[in-house]
Amino acid sequence: MSMDSAVLLYLVFAAGGAGLYFLMPKAERPSSAVGVMFGVASLVGLFAFLISDGLGPRATGAYFCFFGGTALAAATRVITHVKPVYSALYFVLVVVAVAALLVLQEAEFLAVALIIVYAGAILVTYLFVIMLAQPAGSPVYDRRAREPFAAILACFALTGAIAGGLPSAVGRPSVESRVAAASQAEPSAGIGNTEAIGGQVMTRYVVVLQLAGVLLLISMVGAIALSRKRVPSEMLTSSRPALGQVGKEAVPF
Amino acid sequence: MIDGTAGYLILGAILFGLGLTGFVTRRNLIVIFLSTEIMFQGVVLTAVAFARHHHNLQGQTYALFLLVIAAVEAGLALGMVMLLYRRRGTLDAEAWAVMRG
Repeated sequence: MSMDSAVLLYLVFAAGGAGLYFLMPKAERPSSAVGVMFGVASLVGLFAFLISDGLGPRATGAYFCFFGGTALAAATRVITHVKPVYSALYFVLVVVAVAALLVLQEAEFLAVALIIVYAGAILVTYLFVIMLAQPAGSPVYDRRAREPFAAILACFALTGAIAGGLPSAVGRPSVESRVAAASQAEPSAGIGNTEAIGGQVMTRYVVVLQLAGVLLLISMVGAIALSRKRVPSEMLTSSRPALGQVGKEAVPF
Repeated sequence: MIDGTAGYLILGAILFGLGLTGFVTRRNLIVIFLSTEIMFQGVVLTAVAFARHHHNLQGQTYALFLLVIAAVEAGLALGMVMLLYRRRGTLDAEAWAVMRG
């Protein structure tokens, strides 16, 4: 990435940050039209920049722009929407768009797994918690962001560092990986993405797989221990009959 | 620059930055943890982009285990949110400002 294009990228980021600042929930002045304008301008600028600079010969142009724009716009809505339920629903849109981007990168298994795990399991849990805990209406802590200017400035610096540094650090694939790709080209035409990942997980990463299972078990125990309600001890002892007496008084049907 | 990897990397970085912004600015505990999930999406996108760039599956496998971590995090975080909500009766993160020390 040359110096000029890096400056262009930072300009686009600055426009996006300004849009984000105006879109953040604020108490006094809902100036969302300005924010939408800035946001759309920065999205258009970003993808114009990527098409002109980054996307190379194997450009997956239209699909990449469509799903990438959807992901970014929906993510912006997730962090700016006043109602958490809508945030969760926009998050589904982010997941679907990211899954489409994974399909574009030949990671079909991960795309499907992402939709199943996120949209199927995690989002349902979030919606349950929102139903249980969210008060009616929109309370003040949803309508007022905390220090949006400083936060956006800090995150702008971080994103600029990552996005400006990573692509230029990528370079060409190493020689051995290209050799491996050439030798794998023949069998990988026969087996699918799912099969290949399954082979990796079951052979090279089998210890990690076991650790992941242990981790899931620990988190299950932890979640139960965290969210269990304390029952007063007299309720436990009083109304419960002794072990042999259960059902003695019940009328048989 | 090669094969459009840079585009995916920049997209992943922006998603991560958006999630981080939401994490530090929002005050609702549920939205805070939704923002961490957005950061996970950015990391998954980056890992898969690198996997494709290097023509191997290690990045995709890494992203698969990342999904496990995301599920673990969501379960524990939501359990904790319910616990905190029962203690204070509000989802406001500022209600726990005492823990700032």
